[in-house]
Amino acid sequence: MRLLLVEDEIEIQSFLRSSLAEAGYQVEAAGDGKTAERLAIDGQFDILIVDLGLPDQDGITLILRLRQLGVRAPVLILSARRSVDDRVRGLEQGGDDYLTKPFALAELLARLRNLLKRNSPPGNEATRLRVLDLELDLLRREATRSGQVLQLTPQEFVLLEYLCRNAGRVVTRSMILDQVWGMRIQPDTNVVDVHIYRLRGKVDGKGQQPLIRTLRGVGYVLKDR
Amino acid sequence: MSSKTAKPVMHSAAWRISLWATLAFACGTMLVFVFLHRFVADDIQRRSDAWLSGEVEVLGDVAERTPKDALYGRVVGEVAELAGKEVPNKALSDSSENDSVFFLQTGKDGSLQLWVGAGNGEANLTAIQASRMLPDQPMDLHVSGFPTPFRVASIRMDDGSRIYLGLSERDELRVLRSLRLRFFLLWLLIVLLGFGIVFFTTRRMLSHVRRITEAAAGIGHSDLNSRVPTTQRNDEVAHLALTLNRMLDRIESSVHQLHTITDSLAHDLRSPLTAIRGKLEMSLSAATHGEQAEPIVSAIEELDRLTDFLNKSLDVAEAKADALRLSRSEVDLDELLRIMIDLYEPSMSEKGLQIRLQSGGPLRIEADAALIHRMIANLFDNELKHLPSACTVTIRLRVEDGAASLILEDDGPGFDAEVCLHLFERRVKGKESNGHGLGLAFVDAVARAHGGAVRAGNCESGGAQIAVTLPVVSQGHAGSPAAVMHGAH
Repeated sequence: MRLLLVEDEIEIQSFLRSSLAEAGYQVEAAGDGKTAERLAIDGQFDILIVDLGLPDQDGITLILRLRQLGVRAPVLILSARRSVDDRVRGLEQGGDDYLTKPFALAELLARLRNLLKRNSPPGNEATRLRVLDLELDLLRREATRSGQVLQLTPQEFVLLEYLCRNAGRVVTRSMILDQVWGMRIQPDTNVVDVHIYRLRGKVDGKGQQPLIRTLRGVGYVLKDR
Repeated sequence: MSSKTAKPVMHSAAWRISLWATLAFACGTMLVFVFLHRFVADDIQRRSDAWLSGEVEVLGDVAERTPKDALYGRVVGEVAELAGKEVPNKALSDSSENDSVFFLQTGKDGSLQLWVGAGNGEANLTAIQASRMLPDQPMDLHVSGFPTPFRVASIRMDDGSRIYLGLSERDELRVLRSLRLRFFLLWLLIVLLGFGIVFFTTRRMLSHVRRITEAAAGIGHSDLNSRVPTTQRNDEVAHLALTLNRMLDRIESSVHQLHTITDSLAHDLRSPLTAIRGKLEMSLSAATHGEQAEPIVSAIEELDRLTDFLNKSLDVAEAKADALRLSRSEVDLDELLRIMIDLYEPSMSEKGLQIRLQSGGPLRIEADAALIHRMIANLFDNELKHLPSACTVTIRLRVEDGAASLILEDDGPGFDAEVCLHLFERRVKGKESNGHGLGLAFVDAVARAHGGAVRAGNCESGGAQIAVTLPVVSQGHAGSPAAVMHGAH
């Protein structure tokens, strides 16, 4: 996957570059709009990350210009502004996504994956998800572990489904809140942790290998190996 | 517009101003008239007194010179009758008998000697005898059988007899009555006309003020581009409009400046925060041992708290300045609360808390979804953090006067008395609270930005109660005064 990173802050650019490379992306970086424009036209990129506050021009202007020039790759917008601009909202509806700084790496990676998935031709949507000995029947809304049916509430099933779809990858609390409950909030209480704790109690029975792991300071991961 | 102004016209300032102005004007003119009336009445009396004194002297003269023979009564009587025809202020009377003047002569013993006038003069004599007449000084005399009093002058003859000449005040009173009537009609006309003129001018003037008020009220929290209507004239109202517009210019520029500052502050803080967080995450993935990871994890958590604090501070600061930017969409509060309860219920029951929702079904409002989400999460976090176990939180949602009313009530210990007074101020928190004291200030800020309000206090049973009201339809849309006004023109 070829990725163009447009970010003027050197510090952020350098850590993003190495984390993205570690995640398997081929990263090219640009520090301003002019360079970005040149790189985007020459190289065939699968996805772009664009910071809104560029030294020579506004990030949105750059995205609109690139769209005019025929760049079709999806864009993840990074914004240091607090409130989401109406223009960003417009781009979001056009298939792009945004993330406010500071963000968790896991969330950045998840959003990139989503954008790429959205852009790829739709395959046959699986009706069953399988992670190790955990199996989810998406039609009957039923989860089994080693053949044993788990007694889950509908909400717990949605949460487990989300973890399964991201098996082996870290999901943060705000990602869970966004994807499972549809809210971009940052509660300063442990609401998500309690949901995970309860789910874990049902999924990871006695004597079984624990599947749901907590990565403190980062989030949760459903083990797939 | 007519339907709008028809009813409250009695309560309008224009009505009051014209009422008071007219009252003052009416009293003033009435006072002037009272003085004028007195002056005229005095003058008329002075003139009739002068006539009476003159005539009575002439009659006395005639009576003196006329020999006291058989013809005396006739001569003096005729002279008296002639005098009676020259009465001042005399009205044309239908009756042949002259009842406005009488002549009376008494003898030394006070008996009636000669009488000219209507009737036989007995009543007049009785009245004269009853009153103490001063010589050479005309005075009022009430005679029974006559509705109006007489003005009577007297003279004493050398032979001890007295001559009285009386003039009815009827004509004088008639003149004054007609003066009063004319004045009253004219006064009424002027007062009504004055009232009308004052009322319509003030109403016209104040309608400009009202238009300015309505337009100014329409300029809501988020809409600072509009201006109040100005007029071409160069009066106080036009100045008011101009001043208001200049003030709005200044406010708009301050708000713009605030946005610039908060944006650049946010940007300048966020970039290093992003870099720090990224680096910490990278070193966290590199750290293999638990002891190495622990400080990094707590640093990341601290950083996230700092970010949250930064966001809330800036939101509260902007909202305090009425500068919070909203992007509105339809939000169903009932659905949102159910999702929130679903999210918070496990944490609450873990702590031994119960949560109940009393709602009358879907309640859609026009609001900034992200802010409303965060506001409600704040309220729930608040309950979760501060309530001791075994308490119940009751949430009531309903429509009240066109606004959504959301009430959170618990049966916990309530707010501290000292905190209670400053609940919505920044940095105010209870002694045991470990938050940054922005929670309720943020809730208040969001509600205000949406044109709503928050009330907080302790309910009678002792628990805390927080009531949030949010308008169902945002200001500046349908139903605003400005929209109604434009529709009517």
